[in-house]
Amino acid sequence: MSYTLIVADVRQGVFGEANLDSLGIASLLGKEVYLVVPEGAYEMNEKMADAVVKVKAAEEVFLNPLNMGNILEQVFGAHGKPGHLVFCHSSSGAESAAYAAGLFGFPVITDVSGYDRERGVFLKSYYSDKIFGEFKAAGDGPCVITVRSGSFRESVLEKSFTARVEAIENVEIAAGRTFIEYVEEEKSDIDITKAEFLLSVGRGVGNQDEIPSYEELAGTLKAVLSGSRPVIDKLWLPKARQVGTSGKTVKPKVYLAMGISGAFQHIAGMKDSDCIIAVNKDAEAPIFQYAHYGIVADIHKVRDKLKEIAKA
Amino acid sequence: MNILVFTKRVAATQEEELRILDEGKTVDLSKVPFKVNDWDNYAIEEAVRIVEKSGGAVTAVSIGDAESDEVLRRAIAMGAKDGLLIETGDALHDPAARSGMIRNFIQKENVPFDVIFTGVQSEDDQFGCVGGILAAILKLPYSSMVVGIDSVEAGHMVVRRELEGGLQERVKISTPCVLSIQSGINEPRYVSIMGIRKASKVERKVFKAGGYSEGADAKIEVVKWTYPPKKGGAMMLSGELDDMCGQLLGILKEKGVYQ
Ligand SMILES: Cc1cc2nc3c(=O)[nH]c(=O)nc-3n(C[C@H](O)[C@H](O)[C@H](O)COP(=O)(O)OP(=O)(O)OC[C@H]3O[C@@H](n4cnc5c(N)ncnc54)[C@H](O)[C@@H]3O)c2cc1C
Ligand SMILES: Nc1ncnc2c1ncn2[C@@H]1O[C@H](COP(=O)(O)O)[C@@H](O)[C@H]1O
Repeated sequence: MSYTLIVADVRQGVFGEANLDSLGIASLLGKEVYLVVPEGAYEMNEKMADAVVKVKAAEEVFLNPLNMGNILEQVFGAHGKPGHLVFCHSSSGAESAAYAAGLFGFPVITDVSGYDRERGVFLKSYYSDKIFGEFKAAGDGPCVITVRSGSFRESVLEKSFTARVEAIENVEIAAGRTFIEYVEEEKSDIDITKAEFLLSVGRGVGNQDEIPSYEELAGTLKAVLSGSRPVIDKLWLPKARQVGTSGKTVKPKVYLAMGISGAFQHIAGMKDSDCIIAVNKDAEAPIFQYAHYGIVADIHKVRDKLKEIAKA
Repeated sequence: MNILVFTKRVAATQEEELRILDEGKTVDLSKVPFKVNDWDNYAIEEAVRIVEKSGGAVTAVSIGDAESDEVLRRAIAMGAKDGLLIETGDALHDPAARSGMIRNFIQKENVPFDVIFTGVQSEDDQFGCVGGILAAILKLPYSSMVVGIDSVEAGHMVVRRELEGGLQERVKISTPCVLSIQSGINEPRYVSIMGIRKASKVERKVFKAGGYSEGADAKIEVVKWTYPPKKGGAMMLSGELDDMCGQLLGILKEKGVYQ
C-alpha cells in the first residue's frame, strides 16, 4: 500500500508553517500520510498525519542532506517506498529534496504550487512566474516534490484521531558535512517591519546612482525605503532593508513596489500588507496579481512626477 | 585548487511578454534576449577569487546549444581558464537528466576537480536541483545556498549557508564537494565587450551531448505549458502620468500614510 511521506522542516525548535503546505498537498494526494520529524519539544498538531516518525537526532543532524539518506532508508525499510516524498521549498527542504532524489534515483519536481488531482499533474513556475508548466513523473513513482510556501495550507485536513508514533532510534551520521553554529543577522537601527509605509525598489531601478533619488522620494512621502533581493545583493541598500523569504516579512499599511517583478520569495515577505501598490513597465509582471492597485509605467517618470506633485 | 563551475545561458524574460504556442507544447522564446544565469555569475566570480588567492584553475562548463558558447566566453573573460560546452539542441527540462549527463561527462573525460560550483538555481526553470542531484550521484558532500566561504583548508572548507529570515548556518564540509552558490555572496566583476572579445581567442572545447546520455534519461515530463493562474489582480490606474500619480497620492491619503 502506497503512502505519502513528508519530511518536516523544523528549525531552531519551531515546526514551521510551511509544513502545512506539505500536509495540504498530501491531503490532495489522498494516501496515508507519514510525517518524519526530528524529536523535540516543539508544538505541532498530531492530528494532521496518520503516522509520525520521530527521529532521535538533533535538528541540525536531521536537516543535513547527507544524513537524510539514512533516515529515509530506515523509513523505506519499514514501510516500503512512498508514492510521493514531500519537502518544503525552503533552504533546507530544497537542499535535501535534490540530494535525496539523486541518492535514490527518484524523479524530482520542485517549487510546486498547484496539483490537478484528476490529471495527476503538478503545477510548477517557470520564467519567474510568467509561465507555469504542468509536470508529471514518468512511472508510478516514487516522486520527490518540494512545495511552495502558502500554496496548499488550505487543503490540510485534520483527522479525527491522533497520529500513530514510530521512532527511528539511531541515525548514521555522515562525516562529510557538519554543523558548526548559527549566525544571526547583524543588528540594524532601521526596522522595516515597524514601518507603516514602505517604498520598495527592485532591480528595475537600474543602477546605484538612482538610489538617492528614491531615498528622497521616500523622504517626501514619509515612507521607509526597502528593496528586493537584487538591490541588496548589489549592496545598493543594506541587508536589513530586504523584503522576502531570506529577508524580512513586512505588513505595512501601504507597500509601494517600484520595479519589482513579484517572484514568490518576494511576495511571501509582503503579501499580507493592507494595501499593495505596484509600479512596473511590464503589464504582465506577476506582482500585479498580488497588488491592490497597479500602474504600468516607467518608475523613474513616476518618481519624478510624484515628487513634483507632492512639492506643489 | 581546481574548480569546476557550471554556467547556463537563460532567457531574460523579466520584461518580455511570453506566448505559448502549439496548444501548450512550446513557449515562444524567439524574440527574447538571452543572458548568463544570474546565480552562475556569482558562482564564477567566487571560484575565480579563490583561485586568484590560492592558485589552481577555474573551468567553466555549460550544457546547451552552440549559442551557449557565449556564457563560456564570459566566464573566461572573468578569469576562467577553460570553457567546455556539452552541446545539445534539446531543452533538457529535467534536472536529473542534466546532472546525469554531467556525471557521465566528468567520468568519461576524466575532468579533474577539487570542488564543483553551481548556482543555486536557473532563472528560467527555478528547479534548484542540479547541484544537489549531482553531488548525490557523485557521492560527494553537498551544501546549497552558500553565501560565504569563510576558509579553504586542505581537505575541507568552512562555508555559510543562508536559511530563512536573515539567519545563516556555518558548516564544515570536506572536499571534494559540490556547493551551490547563492546570489549576493560577492560583487561579480564587470565584464566589458572588449574582455569578451579577448576571451574569444581562448579555445573552447565542444563535446556532443549524445555521448553522455547513458542512464541520464528524463524522469519527468512537461505535459503542457500554461499561463499563470489568475489571482485577485490589481485595479489598474489609468490615464496620463499626471492622473495616475494624482490617484496614487489619493490612495496614500485615504490609507492615512500621507497628508
Ligand atoms: C533561496 C532564495 C531566496 C530568495 N529570497 C528573496 C528575498 O528574500 N527577497 C526577494 O526580493 N527576492 C528573493 N529571491 C530572489 C527572487 O527569486 C527574485 O530573483 C527577485 O525577487 C527579483 O527581484 P526584482 O523583482 O527586483 O527583479 P526582477 O525580477 O529582475 O524584476 C525587475 C522588474 O522591474 C521592471 N522594470 C525594469 N525597469 C523598469 C522601469 N524603468 N520602470 C518600471 N519597471 C521596470 C521589470 O519589468 C521587472 O518586472 C530569492 C531567491 C532564492 C533562490
Ligand atoms: N544547462 C546547464 N548548463 C550548465 N549549468 C547548468 C545547466 N542547468 C543547470 N546548471 C547549473 O545548475 C544550477 C541549478 O540549476 P537548476 O537545477 O536548473 O535550477 C545552475 O545555477 C547552473 O549552475
